[in-house]
Amino acid sequence: MLTNYLITGPVTTNIISLFLENMGKMKDSGGHSIFIGQVRADEINGKKVKAIEYTAYEGMVKIEADKIKEAILSEFGDTRSVDIVHSTGIVNAGEISLFVLVSSGHRHQAIEACSKAVELIKEKLPVWKKEIFDDNSHEWKQNIKV
Amino acid sequence: MEVKVLFFGVLAEVTATNCKHYRDVKSTGDLRLRIQDEFPEVSHYSFRISLNNVLIDNDLLLNDGDEVALMPPFAGG
Repeated sequence: MLTNYLITGPVTTNIISLFLENMGKMKDSGGHSIFIGQVRADEINGKKVKAIEYTAYEGMVKIEADKIKEAILSEFGDTRSVDIVHSTGIVNAGEISLFVLVSSGHRHQAIEACSKAVELIKEKLPVWKKEIFDDNSHEWKQNIKV
Repeated sequence: MEVKVLFFGVLAEVTATNCKHYRDVKSTGDLRLRIQDEFPEVSHYSFRISLNNVLIDNDLLLNDGDEVALMPPFAGG
């Protein structure tokens, strides 16, 4: 549905609804797995994160996201489709910045493939995030696997 | 010859630019030195370089019209 994977601002429930409506057209799928990434209101040194500003290397995001989709479809043979939507720009705490939908013939591959896709997105997509605090100061953040 | 250089994340902040053009740079190694000379603060941060949308680890020769990006560790999601 989105060919370049990126949208400006949060991934809204309207956008997610479009993907959910589209799921029903994939009648050969028996399981859909969804990951939703949300901006967390972390508290760091007494300051609360009010938003994250994302920037992306758009041309390379397209290339890398295409590769991620190909890798997932190749590794998980029962998987029919992989959709990825990532925000750029400002996303407030509590809003959604990443949406991943994986559809497979059966549930196990849907769940495993979705989890793998999210890990690859974190590792491979050229996207950066700046945490903006409630006093309007900011800090660049790196992904940490917990 | 001229190459386009993109700065991302914290590197865009410390250089106060997203994009600059550099003339007469032979290689990515030369370019790195030229940028670090111009913006000494860049050397305080870890980053990788891509050439025409492909991450590179070695020093590669540059051609007219190439696009180079300086990329701190990714932080998507």
